[in-house]
Amino acid sequence: MNISWYIVLSALLFTIGAIGILIRRSPMVILLCLELMLNAGNLALVAFSREVGNGQGQVFALVVMVVAACEVVVGLGLIVAIFRRKLPLDVDDLRELRG
Amino acid sequence: MAGEGFVAPHVDYAALAPLIALTVGLIVILMSGVFETTKRWAPGLAVLTLGATAGLLIWHWNEQIDLVAGALRIDDLAISISLIATVTAFFTVLLSVRERAAEEAGQGEYYALLIGSVLGMVLLAEAENLVTFFVALETLSIPLYILCATNLRRERSLESGLKYLIVGSLGSATLLYGMAFVYGATGSTDFAGIAHGIAAKGMLHDPLLLIGIALAAVGLAFKTSIAPFHQWTPDVYQGAPTPITSFMAVATKAAAFAVFVRFFVVALGPETGDWQTGLAILAAISIVVGNVGALRQTSLKRLLGYSGVAQAGYMLGGIVVASEKGISSLVFYLAAYLFMNLAAFAVIVARERETPYGDDIRGVRGLGAERPALAWSLTISMLALAGLPATAGFIGKLYLIEALVEGNYLWLAVFIAVGTMISLAYYLRVVAAMWMTPGQAVAGGPGGPEPTPVISGASPEVDPVDPRAGTRWYLVAPAVLAAAITVFFGVIPQPLVEFASHAGASLF
Repeated sequence: MNISWYIVLSALLFTIGAIGILIRRSPMVILLCLELMLNAGNLALVAFSREVGNGQGQVFALVVMVVAACEVVVGLGLIVAIFRRKLPLDVDDLRELRG
Repeated sequence: MAGEGFVAPHVDYAALAPLIALTVGLIVILMSGVFETTKRWAPGLAVLTLGATAGLLIWHWNEQIDLVAGALRIDDLAISISLIATVTAFFTVLLSVRERAAEEAGQGEYYALLIGSVLGMVLLAEAENLVTFFVALETLSIPLYILCATNLRRERSLESGLKYLIVGSLGSATLLYGMAFVYGATGSTDFAGIAHGIAAKGMLHDPLLLIGIALAAVGLAFKTSIAPFHQWTPDVYQGAPTPITSFMAVATKAAAFAVFVRFFVVALGPETGDWQTGLAILAAISIVVGNVGALRQTSLKRLLGYSGVAQAGYMLGGIVVASEKGISSLVFYLAAYLFMNLAAFAVIVARERETPYGDDIRGVRGLGAERPALAWSLTISMLALAGLPATAGFIGKLYLIEALVEGNYLWLAVFIAVGTMISLAYYLRVVAAMWMTPGQAVAGGPGGPEPTPVISGASPEVDPVDPRAGTRWYLVAPAVLAAAITVFFGVIPQPLVEFASHAGASLF
């Protein structure tokens, strides 16, 4: 089975996610882009698993989903904490720390 | 895939004992935070857990066992790095006594998250499979994202938590994508299987594998704060509560370097020629960027952040040569780095609480006259980080340079030497501020300076001043102890050399 299209799609998703993190300013969208990058990894894992012919890649992809969910929970929690302090929800305005 | 039934792997509970101790400790501490009466026990329970873990780790010293169907491996490298993480966490518990962040977040939650992060570090040092590697890395990181933001009322703390989460997850995602390619090229998630796959298929210079290695290296560089992937380091170090910064600076670096070594030397060992030069260039960039960046910092935590970037560059040199000596010198340096850095952070915590300047360098002015014990600790720490003789930092750099010269990386050794010279400029600036500028009365005292808020904004952001913080045992003892150990291993390095060479030998 030829998996090259799946790899091309996952590379596209990964790039879109990476570019999104660099240019978007809302932490919510950045979290979405992170999910996109992790899922690009999942797609590549499952595709490779099919090509290699063992299930290790699929198991890995399942584990990654759990980890991704944990990350989003913490990320959203932090965004809520920032929102409650009435700070701007914009990563360009969070610039107390620099130099 | 199909056909064979599910067979449960043999589980060696004795070798898993350190991990079990940490997990049990984590749950007990979390439960203790629920009740008003048991809340105060959380720090004590954390110390107990860490002590039990250290004991169980030492019990397995000199053993080499593969655990849980080869997902984990306990050997001297894993044990030495886990011990470094455990000792760092112990110091962090002491520095967190009466810390605003711990009270803000709740004692139980704060210490449970800390132990959770240590659990991830021990797991990471033992990881021998891409899946365990990734899960352990996240177990380590996710509690740290929260701990950075625990000082909920300070904007900086929240900002550093969010920044660390975004950059850390970006690093993890890149690493995961690299792992997927390594798996695709070699057909195995097991480190030994990857090495076997590379050797069997004769796939040197295979593009799929090279993409995987490059992406994995970038992901790990984010975690170990190696330039040019270091930009988050000074920001997060400055914004996080200082005890957490000290924990991140030492323990995270040690655990990430442990898996860096295992992944590159064990799994990608047959490919050494392909990644050596790339890592050497990253090391050189880190040394230059870290040392030059630190020159113009006025915040001590930012200064130590940039210095950490440079030190990560020195340590990466130990992986570049991929020899037993290189790994031993890396472990030696990590152990020395633990004590040098913690002495400095203990003093910063004390000064943050007793002066109105926060972690600004003005806070240590005249410290020599005011608090000699703290001043000597910080002086020893700065001189050791700069690598002056009679400190553990000097011996560590000496071994690293020796390993690099033997591994035919003379040019990188020259970079370390030049970097050390540049670093003297900013380390000595701190020493000069302590001993050569006139003293100041402690804030609030008669004749003292007006307490100027460090951050503009509402008053709840300013941490309360404890004018006697510089004499509290839980801050002075760690500072003096860490400084004393730094000097001890600088004069009598033999025990630490023995410790490190065991770790190096366990991989070859």
